[in-house]
Amino acid sequence: MRLYHFTEMPYPDVPAEAEEANRGLKYFMPNQYYDPTIGHQLYQRYLDEYELADELGFDLMVNEHHQSASTLQVSATLSAASVLHRTRRGRVLVLGTPLPHRESPIRVAEEIAYLDSVSGGRIDCGFVRGVQGETFPSNQNPVHNLDMFIEAHDLIKKAWTHGDVFSWEGRHYHYRYVSVWPRPYQQPHPPIWISGTSTRLVEWTARHGYTLCNLLGTYEDTATSFRLYRRTAVADGQPEPGPDRFAYMALCHVASTEAKAREIGRKLMYYLKPGKLRLGAASPPGYFPPAAAVAALRGRLGAVRRMSYEDLIDAGILLVGTPDQVTAQIHRLYKETGAGHLILMNHAGDMTSNEVRDHLTLFAREVMPEVTTIGTDWRDQDTTWRVDQDQTPVRPVLSSALS
Amino acid sequence: MSTLLFLHDADVLPGPVGALSRLADDHTVVVPRHPGFGTTLDTTAEDWDSVADLAQHHLTDTLTDLPPAPVHLAGAGFGGWIALEMAVRAPHRFASLLLVSPYGVKLGGPTEPDFADILLLDPTEIVELGWADPTACHDLRMPGFPTGLTDSEYERAFTDRAALSRYAWKPFLHDPRLRRWLHLATMPTLVLAGSHNRLVPPRHSAALADLLPAAHYVEIPDAGHYPYLERPDEFHRIVRSFLNGETP
Repeated sequence: MRLYHFTEMPYPDVPAEAEEANRGLKYFMPNQYYDPTIGHQLYQRYLDEYELADELGFDLMVNEHHQSASTLQVSATLSAASVLHRTRRGRVLVLGTPLPHRESPIRVAEEIAYLDSVSGGRIDCGFVRGVQGETFPSNQNPVHNLDMFIEAHDLIKKAWTHGDVFSWEGRHYHYRYVSVWPRPYQQPHPPIWISGTSTRLVEWTARHGYTLCNLLGTYEDTATSFRLYRRTAVADGQPEPGPDRFAYMALCHVASTEAKAREIGRKLMYYLKPGKLRLGAASPPGYFPPAAAVAALRGRLGAVRRMSYEDLIDAGILLVGTPDQVTAQIHRLYKETGAGHLILMNHAGDMTSNEVRDHLTLFAREVMPEVTTIGTDWRDQDTTWRVDQDQTPVRPVLSSALS
Repeated sequence: MSTLLFLHDADVLPGPVGALSRLADDHTVVVPRHPGFGTTLDTTAEDWDSVADLAQHHLTDTLTDLPPAPVHLAGAGFGGWIALEMAVRAPHRFASLLLVSPYGVKLGGPTEPDFADILLLDPTEIVELGWADPTACHDLRMPGFPTGLTDSEYERAFTDRAALSRYAWKPFLHDPRLRRWLHLATMPTLVLAGSHNRLVPPRHSAALADLLPAAHYVEIPDAGHYPYLERPDEFHRIVRSFLNGETP
């Protein structure tokens, strides 16, 4: 199992009353609450933590959100450039670039190829639709989100691999002359990752053989989504997909005692507060199929956000406890889902840098050696999610906790 | 008997709602559903992405199906925008033009939104902004509004919102090309607005009327964005008189 360090680089100093008045920290938050000096210090601190994580043996993940106090990463490719420059060893997972929200897929193709070239192939390239609320900062039409995602992907992949100048006059993107320089260092292109749960997207990901990531979902939903991927891939004539095709993101904090881990780990709930966005932002027009939009309306979306701290720990969405307890949780995650990549959100809100550093160091010393071999000989050991042994019917999964 | 072709607004129930049914005493009232909002053309219209597509559709398919008689063109809100697009393309086809607080033309500067964000606001906020008396609201259907509808009715409401978004997301609720052709809408025109409309401010409708060659502007007191629902008597009196050729 590969382990990734990740922080969304939050800006924790927004007054509670401003958060209340603006329905949360994202998309509609006035930037008068941002202090440039504090922001600079936060960026340097977060990059320092990426540097430590790299030294301790973690791989590294970056992302982006927009107009958000809970994420100061504004471009996953810019963040990747910063992290690559600070580190020497770990792979840098860009998860991801929200294709429908970027005006130019060509520019995305260039930036990823640049990062991959400069780093000599340390890049994993994630593409995402962008969570619902991202519709408002980018102002891209949510009705076209998934179609734009797929068309942008097709264009980027062709731009990396075609080898000659070509023309693209599609439904959403128009270029008469495409020939991206550089080409990626990893040939034909870096590994591609996709996060999402919608049936159409999971099936599409499976048919392309890309790595599928579930963000903060219940293990049951994650297993359900991965089951659809495995069945689709096998029906498509591919060999049974191994754990390296599946990733899960959890919030994580370990400490020497359970009490201490739970005390500090409670700060991770920063990302799982109940959503306060208007329905129109949590479920923009046409972003979900109508039945899923009604499920969101009926409160069946984002159930993870209504779970208690203790229940989230029991469910393993929060990996919080002693090294032994968290090791056991990670074994359970693998047993139930078959995930071969684990992204650890090791920081949230106002968690201090020392708290993050102590956690990273302890995790690297006591958990990492116990879990890195998970999934390496999966054909022999594992039974619950193997295609031949899994008779559970495929069913749809609602979107994950995030919006 | 002449025909009143009335193009419906977003979020309004199908059919001759409110005062529209009363106008049927004097006119053949036709209220076609726009493709995307629950019609046999919905699948075809998934490729349509502009109000120009809807104007083209109504100018061809819808008009062809009408009886051979003079046609009064009318529209409210989103339907008013479609009606304006039709009026500038084919002014000779219509005996008159009635616009009720239409979207479609941006008059303010880049930092001055002309219209409320009906694709973000909650239904309760839309009712609050769209009615002089929000407690009197009726004949609207939105995601989650009114309470107590079935899943399939809410699915319809979400699908309608997706259609509106396809036609009107960006530029938001307007077509930058439309303003430069307004001088072509030379038919007798009445622009109506409710005094309490905060979705499309009455001053916007008044300023739009000034840009149209033959338009009168009339404000209906104690009404919001839907005067044909909220003040049906007053709406019927004014519109009947206008359609009979009387100057307001």
